[in-house]
Amino acid sequence: MTSEQKPQGSHLVILMPSGRRGQVTHGQSLLEAARQMGVEIESICGGRLTCGKCKVHIEEGNFQKHGIVSEAENLSEPSEEESLLLKRMHSSADRLSCSACVLGDLLVTVPEESLAQKQIVRKSATERIIDVAPAIRQVYIEVDQARLGEHRGDWGRIQSALAEQWELTDLSIDLQALRRLQSALRRGKWDVTVTLWQDKQVIDIQPGYQEGVYGLAVDIGSTTLAGYLCDLRTGQLLATESMMNPQVSYGEDLMSRISYAMSNPDGLEKLNSAIINALNRLAGRAARQAGIHTRQIHEAVIVGNTTMIHIFLNIDPIELGNAPFALANRDGMDLKARDLGLRLHPGANLHVLPSEAGHVGADNVGVLIAEEPYNQDEVILITDIGTNAEIVLGNRDWMYSASSPTGPAFEGGQISSGMRAAPGAIERVRIDPVTKHARFRVIGEESWSDEWRIGPQQPVENQPKQLASGICGSGIIEAVAEMYLRGVIRPDGRINPENIDGNIQWDGKKAAYILAYADQTTTGKPILITQDDVRNIQLAKAALYAGAKLLMKRAGVKSVDRILLAGAFGSYIDPKYAMILGLIPDCDLKNVYAVGNAAGDGARIALLNRKKRTEAQEISHWVHYIETAVDPDFQSEFVGAMHLPHSSDPFPHLRGILEDVPVPVQVVRDRKRRYSRTKDQ
Amino acid sequence: MNDEINIKEMSTEDIYELMKEDLYDGYAEEIVEEVNELLSRGLSPYEILTQGLVAGMDIVGVDFRDGILFVPEVLMAAKAMKAGMQILRPLLVETGAPRIGTMVIGTVKGDIHDIGKNLVAMMMEGAGFEVINLGINNPVENFMAAIEEHDPDILGMSALLTTTMPYMRVVIDTLKEKGIRQDIIVLVGGAPLNDAFAEDIGADAYCRDAAVAVDTAKKFMEIKRDKVNP
Repeated sequence: MTSEQKPQGSHLVILMPSGRRGQVTHGQSLLEAARQMGVEIESICGGRLTCGKCKVHIEEGNFQKHGIVSEAENLSEPSEEESLLLKRMHSSADRLSCSACVLGDLLVTVPEESLAQKQIVRKSATERIIDVAPAIRQVYIEVDQARLGEHRGDWGRIQSALAEQWELTDLSIDLQALRRLQSALRRGKWDVTVTLWQDKQVIDIQPGYQEGVYGLAVDIGSTTLAGYLCDLRTGQLLATESMMNPQVSYGEDLMSRISYAMSNPDGLEKLNSAIINALNRLAGRAARQAGIHTRQIHEAVIVGNTTMIHIFLNIDPIELGNAPFALANRDGMDLKARDLGLRLHPGANLHVLPSEAGHVGADNVGVLIAEEPYNQDEVILITDIGTNAEIVLGNRDWMYSASSPTGPAFEGGQISSGMRAAPGAIERVRIDPVTKHARFRVIGEESWSDEWRIGPQQPVENQPKQLASGICGSGIIEAVAEMYLRGVIRPDGRINPENIDGNIQWDGKKAAYILAYADQTTTGKPILITQDDVRNIQLAKAALYAGAKLLMKRAGVKSVDRILLAGAFGSYIDPKYAMILGLIPDCDLKNVYAVGNAAGDGARIALLNRKKRTEAQEISHWVHYIETAVDPDFQSEFVGAMHLPHSSDPFPHLRGILEDVPVPVQVVRDRKRRYSRTKDQ
Repeated sequence: MNDEINIKEMSTEDIYELMKEDLYDGYAEEIVEEVNELLSRGLSPYEILTQGLVAGMDIVGVDFRDGILFVPEVLMAAKAMKAGMQILRPLLVETGAPRIGTMVIGTVKGDIHDIGKNLVAMMMEGAGFEVINLGINNPVENFMAAIEEHDPDILGMSALLTTTMPYMRVVIDTLKEKGIRQDIIVLVGGAPLNDAFAEDIGADAYCRDAAVAVDTAKKFMEIKRDKVNP
């Protein structure tokens, strides 16, 4: 059965359940090998042995069906580090593919939870009223024929025609257009359509009358790319496309990517070509969807966080990895798309929106020009929650911004059963106030878990289409908030030791709440919310709350009138639970809502309306950025915000909800007080 | 029910027990009162430190490690401890009490994250260590100057960013160049770190959290003392 040719120094690796097989170079890591074989394994920490998300199982024995003899010894010895982490995950029989190197033939099972599934992207352009005043327009002109004895040159003749027929003067011409100018004039019998950028530069000349100018707005997110293809004449949105940012393979969060660029000689190049290739694919897909050619995309507007913008422009992001987090350029930019390797129209302009500060980028400026809090009387708080949260507070008179390091917890990182928002992720949670049992809903299955009929004796149509395989950001917020509401955890975050009736699992002194039972999960193991999970959520939510609170203090306001939740995560969380958790400050719940991918909308608005670019530039300078981490009050605000919903701030708008929270039995302390005493206060 | 208690009527042993409870609950005023009472009974500052404050913070550390207490509670306890220390510190110097140990701690250059490192500093103080906290964004020169000035047993370095943690190697390499690496215990910590990284840069240990930092520091101090007095 050894039909496969075995090149020198390589081994056969088969990945299950996909059944992919390939020859792998001796000594290569399994993670890398799988990637080359087209199987993406999740890796959040980028091989630093902290996340454990890339675990795989080695099948041992002679597998005739696959023609392979697979041995655990055919992998490099696990380091102490790896063994320890696996032990902590109760997965000692498994290996971490990032640090296991292939030394012989292997049959490897990649568990579902380790697959980097394509995220369900729910970024869609919302309907907004946008004035269409694009930077690109086409004009039709009739040009004087060239004659002997008249030496203006064809470009000179076109300039004259543009001045006479359209009052367009002081124009330059892009070299690509110049190269096509003469044949266009003659093929069009001296009638041509001229495409202009900002009424300043001619970027195309086509024979005869032509119409059709298109533009692409892109939000380069750390995890997701979202593209909007628009007709620049009508302003109509023709196609929306999104895909994973392929840079995720080089590190989940921004700092890991900067670190990758720092520590690998070709790191920046790899990151840059990954994003350029992805954008070309994105443009291609969007164009196909709209029924046009990518060569007809005459302009693109880009937003993204500062690191994404640096890497996209092939600028070393190293300075963003260290205080004082200096940007190469804060202002908006106009570049030629072709210079970056983007295959759009050969003369296409690329506009990058300005940034505000080292870690508040063009994406946040996009949010601002989309929501225009600077035109409102109300005090508005806007949060865009990702690994790094951007916070803006203000109205027409003043505006502050900050970035807060919330960490990856809201994206499922650092959570024992955390995963992205993909099929199988628990996204909604309710806990029964009496039994303390949880019911939940997973992505990919409409019904709640308490309606599931599981087991071989149940008819197929009653079985859930999708079992639970983990919990995503919106799910963990509801889980922890519900745990608090039902007294499973106390306001200080500690799992209530009094509540042990079958819903709690103990690991030594640490308790864990059983969210999903073994028969409800794809892995056959229960899904737990551990004490450490709750702690990590407390840290993350406290970072966001403290950031918002510092801006409120700086502005001298005690409350906010409106809270807008931007970004994919904001679209999915339930504002009520976000407030119960104390992720956001108190506000009338009807004034707390998601605004979708406002950054992408901002890019689209700037694409369709060039005046918005000027506005973006002005706003980016006007908004006052606060470095919260060095604010003397940050620590006390951060610590105060760790309790649920807060140790001291009142939440009047949760009246009627928080009253129902069971008061913890006070306090069955592990060390009983020998003396009771009255406190002075 | 009259809950008012009069510590003057209590035995010394009972006051120690009470101190543990008050530290646990973060009652600074009570700790001050108890320390003063014990001093008035002629107990040595060193005994009050070890039997009262340090023993009490030990319990806090254990419960923090076990997830029973969290950052706000630990900070309250540390504040109470600090209130007691303010009385004891000058007396400890005066009486020439043995030192438990000295630590210089700081966040490395390029990194402005403070809170995790402050928690370690407070827990170390809770364990009776003298702690010199250099704050954030420290270039190697700051660490060297502090080491020269305070002659610490332990150097602690913190980084929250993947991009700033490599700077720890710069500091350790400088210690080596100056020939003082073996004189000082180097402990490192921060979210993106792990044991392998600590080993790779030549630190003595990586400490996952503040409780682990205290345990590790004590362990290394014991080894160090055994070397000095075998």
